[in-house]
Amino acid sequence: MTDRQESALLLLPGLLLLAGAFLVPILQMLALSVAGPDGGWTLDHFRRFLGDGFYLAVLARTVRLSLVITAICLAVGFPMAYIMARARPRPRVWLIVLVILPLMTSVVVRTFGWMVLLSRSGLVSGLLRDFGLAPRNFALMYTETAIVIGMVQVLLPFMALSILGVILRIDPRIEEAARTMGCSFLRALAAVVLPLSLPGIVAGSLLVFTLSASSFVTPNLLGGPRVQVLAASVWRAVTQTLDWPFAAAQAVILFAGVLAILVPYIRIAGRGHG
Amino acid sequence: MAEVRLADIRKSFGRTEILHGLTLTVASGEFVSLLGASGCGKTTLLRIVAGLETVTTGRVEIAGADVTALPPERRDIAMMFQSYALLPHLSVAENVRFPLRMRGLGSRDEQAARVAEALETVQLAPFAGRRPRQLSGGQQQRVALARAIVSRPKVLLLDEPLSNLDARLRQDMHVELIELHRRLGLTTIFVTHDQEEALSLSDRIVLINAGQIEQEGAPAAIYDRPATAFASAFLGAANLVPVRIERRAGEAVAVFADGQALALGPGAWPEGAATVALRQEEIALHAVGDLAAAGGPRARVRTRVFLGARCRYVVALGDVTLRALTGNEPAFAAGAEVSLRIPEGRIRVLPG
Amino acid sequence: MVRAVPPALRVAAVVFVALTAVFLVGPLVVVVGVSLSESQFIAFPPAGLSLRWYDRVLSSEAFLAAGWLSLRLALLVTLSATLVGGAAAIAIHRRRLPGGEVLGALFLSPLVLPTIIYAIGMLMLWSALFGPVSLAALWIGHTVIAAPYVVRTTLAVLADSDPFAEEAARTMGAGRLRRLWLVVLPQCLPGLGAGAFFAFNLSFDEAVLSLFLRRPGLTTLPVQIYGQLEFSPDPSVAAVSSLMIAVTVGLIVVIDRIVGVQKVAST
Repeated sequence: MTDRQESALLLLPGLLLLAGAFLVPILQMLALSVAGPDGGWTLDHFRRFLGDGFYLAVLARTVRLSLVITAICLAVGFPMAYIMARARPRPRVWLIVLVILPLMTSVVVRTFGWMVLLSRSGLVSGLLRDFGLAPRNFALMYTETAIVIGMVQVLLPFMALSILGVILRIDPRIEEAARTMGCSFLRALAAVVLPLSLPGIVAGSLLVFTLSASSFVTPNLLGGPRVQVLAASVWRAVTQTLDWPFAAAQAVILFAGVLAILVPYIRIAGRGHG
Repeated sequence: MAEVRLADIRKSFGRTEILHGLTLTVASGEFVSLLGASGCGKTTLLRIVAGLETVTTGRVEIAGADVTALPPERRDIAMMFQSYALLPHLSVAENVRFPLRMRGLGSRDEQAARVAEALETVQLAPFAGRRPRQLSGGQQQRVALARAIVSRPKVLLLDEPLSNLDARLRQDMHVELIELHRRLGLTTIFVTHDQEEALSLSDRIVLINAGQIEQEGAPAAIYDRPATAFASAFLGAANLVPVRIERRAGEAVAVFADGQALALGPGAWPEGAATVALRQEEIALHAVGDLAAAGGPRARVRTRVFLGARCRYVVALGDVTLRALTGNEPAFAAGAEVSLRIPEGRIRVLPG
Repeated sequence: MVRAVPPALRVAAVVFVALTAVFLVGPLVVVVGVSLSESQFIAFPPAGLSLRWYDRVLSSEAFLAAGWLSLRLALLVTLSATLVGGAAAIAIHRRRLPGGEVLGALFLSPLVLPTIIYAIGMLMLWSALFGPVSLAALWIGHTVIAAPYVVRTTLAVLADSDPFAEEAARTMGAGRLRRLWLVVLPQCLPGLGAGAFFAFNLSFDEAVLSLFLRRPGLTTLPVQIYGQLEFSPDPSVAAVSSLMIAVTVGLIVVIDRIVGVQKVAST
């Protein structure tokens, strides 16, 4: 047996699994999205989606919310990652646990927490009313804001960890060098750390955008049936109207939409970095 | 005992040929250094002897047997790696026992005895139960050495094993390696880019340049009589100076670009353009007018670097820059004019 | 360490971290708080203290069945994902196969592809080939999305290992199987261990695939919780959720023991 054969043998189970249980299902979904009623193929499911104002609004909301969620995650995640990277070892471990604990807790459980906090009788809505920031009958539940709050909490760890991995590899002496060359702390951060952590920022934003555009558990529970996002609409088509070809078509649109936004984004970020 | 014969070894990676037909015999019990700059192919050659690389063409023999097609695990060799390659999950003793266990040498008790003996040899007996990461770099290095000698291999292969140690430890290890080799008499092939290491350890040095043997010979011979410009530059870091060789008043002289001449002494010197190799430590600086350097070329001191026991000068002879390694006295300041004395017998003329 | 950070920024950093901590962990604290409440209704801060909702959960047929399914599933997934992912990581690390970069990307792609897209495909393919979904469908699906974690943790550990250890073992006479068993496997062990616990955690907590591949009698714990949240949440859901949080905390402690959370976080 050669080294190459040994490697191939080790890889084989994984390759078979990926091919049979990952690539084929995705192809099956693609095929079903253009399946006609009589066994032929059709674009009707896509036409139905794109010709209906309701679904277009769902699509627009999905993109808008995903962008907002990604931006907030970035704004909070970058300083968080920087603080984690430059903290002393002991506090750093605690900060990492702080990020990993919610990450590794089931989305369902975390969303439940937000349902309690954001409901009419909940802590957050109550505080807002008490401070006079909201009307008497106000609740955050079943609003887009609720979805954003819940999703940022769900996805922030992904962003923070993506950026952390890159910042940990930046030699702190480069920052010190920048300081000796006349940069203030914040200028050193902007001129040295920020550009060097761009790969992590891109990777994290990519991941967060993709995940937020495709989530339905948190949006379903926090947004309710009136504030629908695309993934929730897919879920509805699968479980309630049982219209699988239409569900597949929506999933394909979701997939395509995610790619369409991410591809130019990677290009721009790549150019900015190079 | 085991002789290693390499016959017309060629090795290509893709379309690039790294080794261009090397032939080399290492006698039984000999300590041979493969010396060369990084990328010259010396490590590839060693890995071919180990069996970790296959040859493109050529033949490898160990102790008279053709092993060209044998994988490393079936060759009777031991190799020490630059990174030591200790197994982090095994104790020091288990690491040293590993080759005995793999090759099925001896019973458990015999293996334990041989491990103890090998650890004794490298003075690590008290550390047998530790993990490699609990040891210092020098200690890890000695574990790797013990592991290499414990199976009493026919051939010991060393791939720059000392390059991760600091200068002091390296010198200690040189002495240990020399003594160990004298005691065990293992056929040893040692790869290094450090000429001093090669000179101090080897019975024979094989200088490799760009996949070919540039020169081979005993350390003293190769140091005193480098055959090529590359050999001169690599061994002793000699100054290589372009000159014209002429006869003046019946004597051969080397004429520098600025017209100053250096007497070459008796000998059959070919006239015309040539390169002279002037070793740093053989250029002496004297005050102008000092009789000891009478007739020597004059130069101007550019920089003086104090090295403790010695002193390095960078001097300008016309447009030519020379380095000289001298004693501390007398000291010349930068800008001083000096006479150079170079003993006639120590000048080597290389063609070209 | 970069010192000479302006004091005002230091204070700001501490405040920022504290707020972020409340934001990240707050919902979990709320869930635990609700589970300890004496009241019939979901309320935070809890009204009175009691463990009655835990009692309720442990005598609930539905929750026990879901918990038992989740546990079996997570153990199966841990086993298969570790075997498949670990072996693949070793092969990818060696770079002996053509298209190594592509292979690496392929094996990590389930991490990037939205699970919902995969879940739909899996549901449709399974229904077309085998009819109603089963534990096997969940097992395979979870293995597909969990194996990349094992690949990643194992690759990270291998990247830090001495690349010459295996060659050294060869020169010492170790054949192929013994090299794999005595050199490569021990090198991978921390990565395999961490990956295994991640796989367990992922499968145990996973909701998306499990929601798509559910049917009566095939309801995992997160699916059970989701169903109750949609219709009739009471504090017993909080109790189950708290138990799941406890499992997560336990897993983090174990992973920290194996490789250290810092290592996990930066790979």
